[in-house]
Amino acid sequence: MPETILVVDDDLDILELLKLNLEPEGYTVRTASDGDGAVQSACTEPPDLILLDVMMPHKNGLQVIEELKSIDETKNIPVILVTARGQTDDKILGLETGADDYITKPFDLREVTARVEAVLGRTRPIKYINPLKRAMGEGFSEEGLQQLAGHLEAAAAIQKKLLPDQAPRLDGFDIENLLQSSTSVSGDFYDFIPLHETQIGIVLGDVKGNGIPAALLMVMIRTALRLLCHDEETPAAILKRINDLVARDTEADLFATMIYGILDTEENTFTYANGGHCYPFHYNSRNGIDVLKTGGMLIGAFEEATFTYGTCHLAPGDIIVFYTDGITETEAAEDATADISTHWEQDPNVLFYGGDRLAACLSENTELSAAALCEAILNDLAQFSGSTQTNDDRALIVIKREI
Amino acid sequence: MNFETTIGEENISILHVAGKILGNASDVFRKAMESQLQTGHDKLVVDLTEVPLIDSSALGAIVTTLKGYQRSGGKLVLLKPQKAVQEVLEVTQLATVIEIYDTEEAARDAFI
Repeated sequence: MPETILVVDDDLDILELLKLNLEPEGYTVRTASDGDGAVQSACTEPPDLILLDVMMPHKNGLQVIEELKSIDETKNIPVILVTARGQTDDKILGLETGADDYITKPFDLREVTARVEAVLGRTRPIKYINPLKRAMGEGFSEEGLQQLAGHLEAAAAIQKKLLPDQAPRLDGFDIENLLQSSTSVSGDFYDFIPLHETQIGIVLGDVKGNGIPAALLMVMIRTALRLLCHDEETPAAILKRINDLVARDTEADLFATMIYGILDTEENTFTYANGGHCYPFHYNSRNGIDVLKTGGMLIGAFEEATFTYGTCHLAPGDIIVFYTDGITETEAAEDATADISTHWEQDPNVLFYGGDRLAACLSENTELSAAALCEAILNDLAQFSGSTQTNDDRALIVIKREI
Repeated sequence: MNFETTIGEENISILHVAGKILGNASDVFRKAMESQLQTGHDKLVVDLTEVPLIDSSALGAIVTTLKGYQRSGGKLVLLKPQKAVQEVLEVTQLATVIEIYDTEEAARDAFI
């Protein structure tokens, strides 16, 4: 997720200039044109850094800093002050108040970028320190934790890159995937692993638990899967090995649900095992939608767990849809909730998007390509929830055998 | 979500939960279950009669606490999950490792 910078200045030309300069560097830029707007924006959604003009009417930059430092949510946001040449008193006052650095107007845009990067480089690890302390216990020194935080930040970035951008191209099959992440480290993951010329391993999963420990567990599962899947074993045997590995090495509150399957493009079969994950759907012209209920225990919680596997044959036009619970647990729009509250007593599921509605969306759109079907599901979700935003991770894989 | 705990005969605790257990409520839910174990009550019935829905974090709370009870030689059972909750327990197959009862009497008998 790109880092967000809040730029505050009462001169709209300067706001525009800074925005145009910072966005190409990969930052998301928000703007505010006065002190109150700045505080409000920072409180609503804390940015990673604030670039703050000192000389503003009503509430000046120094007052803004003081206010931000008095609020828990915003007190740790780094601030770079922008002062006019010669305002030495302001610089000193600003640094005393808690600014992290300052830039003098008129500024060189390259200097702005360099200072922003320098301050973010210093403060970035702090975001990781507190969760780490909880995860690692008290035995680590602050310095050790900071070093570890640096590595983990790199690991999170690598993990992002590990997720394939595009589904593989396979003869006779149309595959599409989608991941919407709610935070910088996602709990949902997927992977496509070429096994043989006509076989590909497909995994979709969801790591429960939060933050860095969960991210580490995901890297562990993905790595284990990549190593194990080349053994000539059934998906069930592979899930069992991953489960035992994870159950032995992690705390009880860390576990995952996942589906691992092998798509055989010669036999036109999909052989899968399910570790406690939402049941996938198989659309076929005979029955409409079959729910693939071959199941198994969630991954990593119990060493004694066992797994079975199922196979389904894919005729031309058949579709398989996997999803994570971020999709089915999407909540209804608030105004809609009022209307349906009378039904709530009979069926609490109406408050959530749910598997039935997903299945209905699938069966109405079976003629679409895999990509268009993903799009249709997203649109239906947006309509149901009244928003395109998500506060949980969502992942979706659609496999369609071409006609 | 609201809850209350009663401790009855045979030192069996019953945790009555009412309402959806979603998001942050699962922390409260977990603490409510764990506090029984921490105070030496290692026989717990979690009454889900009035819980229409749980999400994955509530599920995590159940898994964690269940393992805590198992490690310390205690026991945790569930009472009367509603349909939506039962479905989640089945998909994740937690229903195969945790005992689930339909009546309070049957749940109590599980400890004898």
